[in-house]
Order: sequence, then structure tokens, then C-alpha cells
Amino acid sequence: MGKDFITRRAFLGSVKSSVGKSIIVLSSSAIVAACRDSKFARAAGEAFVNLNETEASEFDAIAGRILPSTTSPGAKEAGVVYFIDNVLDDSRSAEFDVLKKGLQELRASASQKFNSPNFFSLNEAQQDSLLRQAESTAFFSTMRYLVIAGMFALPEYGGNKDSVGYDLMGFDDRHSWLSPYGYYDADYLEKGE
Amino acid sequence: MAELKSISFSTREEVDFVVIGSGSAGGIIAKELATAGHSVVVLEQGPYLQASDFKHDEWGYEHNYDLTWSARKGNVQTFRKNENEEAEPREAVLRYAHNVGGSSVHYSGNFWRLRPIDFNEASVRGTIPGTNFVDWPITYEDLEPYYTKVDWEIGVSGLQGPWDPYRSRDYPCPPMPIKGSDVLLERAAKSLGLNPYPAPVAILSAPHNGRPGCIHCGYCNGYGCEVNAKSSSMVAMIPLALASGNCELRTMATVSRINTNDGGRVNEVVYFDSNGVEQAQKTRAAVVCANGAETPRLLLMSSSNIFPDGLANSSGSVGQNLMFNGYSSVTGLFDEPVNAWKSIPATRVVHDFYELDPSLGFYGGGGIDGRHPSAGTPLKFALGAHDLFGGPNWGGEFKDSLAFQFSHCAAFDGHTTSLPLSSNNVTLDPVYKDSFGRPAIRCTYMDHPDDLSTMKWFKDKSIELMEAAGAARISGSYPESGQSGNVHLLGTCRMGSDPANSVINAGHRAHDVPNLFTCDGSSLVTSSRGQPTMTIMALAFRAADLINEAARRNEI
Repeated sequence: MGKDFITRRAFLGSVKSSVGKSIIVLSSSAIVAACRDSKFARAAGEAFVNLNETEASEFDAIAGRILPSTTSPGAKEAGVVYFIDNVLDDSRSAEFDVLKKGLQELRASASQKFNSPNFFSLNEAQQDSLLRQAESTAFFSTMRYLVIAGMFALPEYGGNKDSVGYDLMGFDDRHSWLSPYGYYDADYLEKGE
Repeated sequence: MAELKSISFSTREEVDFVVIGSGSAGGIIAKELATAGHSVVVLEQGPYLQASDFKHDEWGYEHNYDLTWSARKGNVQTFRKNENEEAEPREAVLRYAHNVGGSSVHYSGNFWRLRPIDFNEASVRGTIPGTNFVDWPITYEDLEPYYTKVDWEIGVSGLQGPWDPYRSRDYPCPPMPIKGSDVLLERAAKSLGLNPYPAPVAILSAPHNGRPGCIHCGYCNGYGCEVNAKSSSMVAMIPLALASGNCELRTMATVSRINTNDGGRVNEVVYFDSNGVEQAQKTRAAVVCANGAETPRLLLMSSSNIFPDGLANSSGSVGQNLMFNGYSSVTGLFDEPVNAWKSIPATRVVHDFYELDPSLGFYGGGGIDGRHPSAGTPLKFALGAHDLFGGPNWGGEFKDSLAFQFSHCAAFDGHTTSLPLSSNNVTLDPVYKDSFGRPAIRCTYMDHPDDLSTMKWFKDKSIELMEAAGAARISGSYPESGQSGNVHLLGTCRMGSDPANSVINAGHRAHDVPNLFTCDGSSLVTSSRGQPTMTIMALAFRAADLINEAARRNEI
């Protein structure tokens, strides 16, 4: 990368300096993307970068209901909350704002209905009932988007730990395959069609 | 990223050609002009990435726009359905890759040639009131040698099909191995008396021109090839252009204006360099290959006293006649694993409906191929699966449905025509600007009623095919309320014989400016049947031949 990498950073810097002319404010995301590599990969239990402790606990609990742990690992085992923590930087501040506001309302409902300040300490049925109520909100759709993304994005973004998301789908992120790829093409080749 | 080892020119030194854009057309034209001995500067707004830079990174490419030019990178675009609406800023409307090789790096590589009928369909079928549907100024015979050049120099795999037009030479590589999704399509199509055949693709099935064959990793559509088996202009042309010793490739160079002298001839190209500093390259001629969105924007931004409505725009056609191609998608679920997420997007195509029967009452045509409904990528599938077959979109049942559906689905996709309309266009947004201070691209687009009818027809036909294939469940759709963006950016500086309603002549030379040429998706007169890049590349080889000939006669 060396030489061109510097060039790209310099370019992005120049874009940023002229951002006043633009209605869309350029974030640091492109720069982050440029030097991402595997810096996001973290072990469970490590400190969060963008989320506070309450947000981390609550988002982890919500993620666990959107893609629950069943006979196969769910969002919790995939470390989806670490993915969410990683991607909610300046470039996704609008989404983060939606989540913060929605979380406040969700916690208020938990308090009101089940007399608990925390969503994460409710039982699964209680949690599901509150989420069902929020289904049509921007909060829920943003949460769902990020949970699914965290389950199926490359593990280097912090979620999809040990590729449990890929395993769930029956997907295997290999670099090469040989024909036949599935049942029908194997059958086709066998019959000499 | 690649080291750039080549000749370098001073901006004050007048070069023979500045080529703006290094994509499907620009990469070819740069190579052809430079190897003919001309001094060439290529200005490319993106970086020079290499196979080793590409990853199976769905979140990065599809959700952070790492490979594409988007609002997130300071390049806002606006969209509206018609001129009475206020255009709203969007993340990405007219989407293309920003890197050396342009969108040929991240395309699917479906390389259908046009057929003779595409060039004179308006004469054969009749014009359509309210549209700018006309014949091309060239024929299939004019372009055939250049299609063959694309086959061999860029690298195409395939097998001559029963409906294919004449070709002067066979494909260099045999067809790709069939996928399960296409076995289902082929069997269904045959049961209905149709003629499925191997899809021609710009992906090598076997080593060719020093590049390896495909390893079937499944990441084509939206991704850069990690082994250079995909035939982009980046891997097939740019190295040859640089090796000529006559071509300088300037990356991260964003063009803002083409200047002309008092005589109305191009004399310099103004751009922001990689440090954001404005530069002006002196040149004897310019070839604009910036794509169907950026080429018209650049010409419109280059207005002057001599060219008050934009450079080369006396016809008012610059930016008009934008065509996206239509599409439909029908997904079926099958009992056994299809695993359509492996290997290239499509390996069979049904072209029996290239021209729909005029008695249907609308104009249109296209092809159907077999695919995975989410380009084989897991995140896109998980986000959209609920829209296909309903059911809960979160919780344990949702999770189980993903586990089954991803591997057990196949999609039959329709790829269809779009009609050229003045009202579908690229203009300069009066309010929004990009990070360089250039007016944002404003896209105005609404599919013609015939285009929508064609998409619906292909959806219905694909459902019939899916039923014949024995799918347990079927879900089909097309953009019923019109498209709001696309990756096919066609027709916006069309070629034609009449300077009153076209921008360039049959030789790609601007009617109004003798030393200005344009070649890319904007040159197309009609839309193709949904796979335009093969034709863009053939046009580029032909344009370069004609420009080289003109240069030999000292007629630039």
C-alpha cells in the first residue's frame, strides 16, 4: 500500500478541508475505512469505544432477542454489540441519536410496565413484548439493521465472531470453490445434460 | 495499491490527449492511443487499487461505499421523479466505482453483445411518440470487429448461442461451469420450449493473456476480483497503456472543467490533484470517458461565452435521454441446496424474449438469467429475506428461515430495455455542491410506461419459469413505482448523424468541438437489453481506431 495510501489520506484531508462548501458533512468514516484492517477485532469483555455501559448492556440484550441464541449461536455469541460499538462513530451519529432516544423510551416502558429500570434484566417474554410494541419505530428498524449487519459482516468489524453468522446461513467465506456447487448442478453433471 | 511507474508530463507541456476517466472506455482508449505512439495523460478521480486490495467485505463496500463515489465521500447527488419536484439529496443515485478501471472492476461481467436489431429498431419497429427512440448511426457490422476485440483483448468466456448474431471469431475461453440456479432455469426453459444457453461473461474460465481462470469465490457483483480473473480495464488495459511509455496515469485527480480557446477548441483540462490543488493540463485534444453521469456533468460545468449552455451542447442533448435499463426479480425456494451464492452471478441466459411481440401494445425486450437473489452475499440476504417470503422479521423463527432460505433459493432475473426520454436526465443541481465546490449531479428519472410494462412482463414470465422449475414458494417483484437510481448510466451524450439532436458523431467526435471526443455509457443511442458494458468497450476500441486514423491524417 505504502505510497498510494499516503496519497489517499492526503486527498481525504483535502476533501475535509473544503467541506464547508458542501451540504453533506464529510465524516471520518472514509479515513477509518482506509486504515481499518483488523483493528476492530476485540475480545469479549474489552472496553467499549462509543457505547456507555448501559447502552452496551441494553443493545446486547435487544440484539439477543432479534437474533436469539437457540440451538445455534445468536447475536450475543456473535458479539454483535461490539460491532455496533465500532460502527457508531461520527459517521453514523444520526443513527446513534435515533438509538439513544429510542433506548430511553424503551427503558421508560420497562420501568412503567415491569417496574424495572433496565430492559436487560427483564425475562425474554417481557423483553419480546416491549420490542413488539416498538416494531414500527425508527429505533427498532435501526437496531434490527445493525444487529443483522453485526451478525453477517466480516468478523474484523467486531461481530460475527468465529463466523457464527456465516455458519447459521450455511455460508462459507472461502476463496475458491469447485463445481458442482450444490445439489442441482451435481445432478445435472451426473446425468450428463 | 500499485506503484505508478511510467512517463510523466508537465502540466504546461501540451500532450496529444487527455483521457478523463480510466473505466471501461477510458482504459481501452488510453491503451489504444498510447500504444499508437500518442502522448496521453489519464485523469482518474479514484485510487489505483490492485487485486490484493480487494476483500469479501460486504459491510465496507455495500454499506460504507468503500469502492463507490457517494455522499459519504463528499459527492452528494440529488434525485427527483420529474421536473416539477424539488430534487432531494441522496447517498447514492447514479452509482459507479471510483478507482482505476471504474465500474469494470466491480461489475458482474455479463457481456451480451447487441444484435443487429438494436441498431435499427426504430426503423424496423417504428418510432414511439413522446420518446427520442431512434436508430444508431452505426450498424452491428460496424461494431462486430470491436466486439471480437473485446472478447480477445479484455477476455470473455462463452459459447455461441442459437440466437446470437454473427461473430467473426469464437470466444477465447469456454463457458463457465453451470450453477444450480441455472440448472433450474435451463430445465424450466427447455420444458417451455425455450432456448437457454451459456451466459457470456467477462470473467475468465481458463487462463488467458497472462491472467488466471476464475476460482468461483462468489464475490463478483459489487466486488473487485482478488485473482484478476474478472476482465476489467484495470487488469486488461491499464498495464499495457503504462507499459507503452507514452501514458501517464494520474490518480485521485478530479476534473472540474474543460477549457477552450477563442476558436472553440479544447486547450486544457482543469482538475483537482491528489492534494486538492487545482491544476490545468495543456492538451491538443480531450477524450471524456467519465461515465454517463459524470461526462454530461463535466460538459455542463464547462460552459463559457462561446458555449453558454455547456460544452458541445448546442443540441441541448447533453445530459438528456438517461437510460437505466429495467429489471425484475423472481425468487424461488427449493427442497435441495442450490448454493447459488458460490461462483459467478449467472451462467445461463434465456434470450427468446429479446424483442417482445409488438401486439402486446408496448415496446420492450430483454433476457432472463439465473442468480442468487442477493448477489450471493449473506448480509444483503438477511436484510431483505423478510420482503421475499414474509413471516416474522426478527426472533427465533426469522433466524431459522435465514438458515434454510439462503442456500435453498434461486432467482430468475429479467434485464430489460429503457426508452430514451428528454425528461430523464442529468443536470447541475442549482443548490447542492460536492466537496470540490462543483454543482451536484441532479438526476430526474421516471421509467416510461412501456419500460414498466416490459418489467412486469418479464416478472410474470419468470414466475412461469419458476413454477416450471418446481419451486416450493415463489416471490416476484419489479420497481412498480419507477426506479430512483441505477448503475447503468446510458444515453446522456448520444451519438448521431444530426447535430440538432445528438452530441457526438458516429466517430465519437463532438459535433460542436472538433478536438473533443466522448465515449462511455453516455454514447449509447438505445439502452441495450440490460447489459451495456460489452458495447461500451466495443465502442471504445472503435472510437480509438477512428481517433488514431484521424490523428494520422492530421484531422484532430
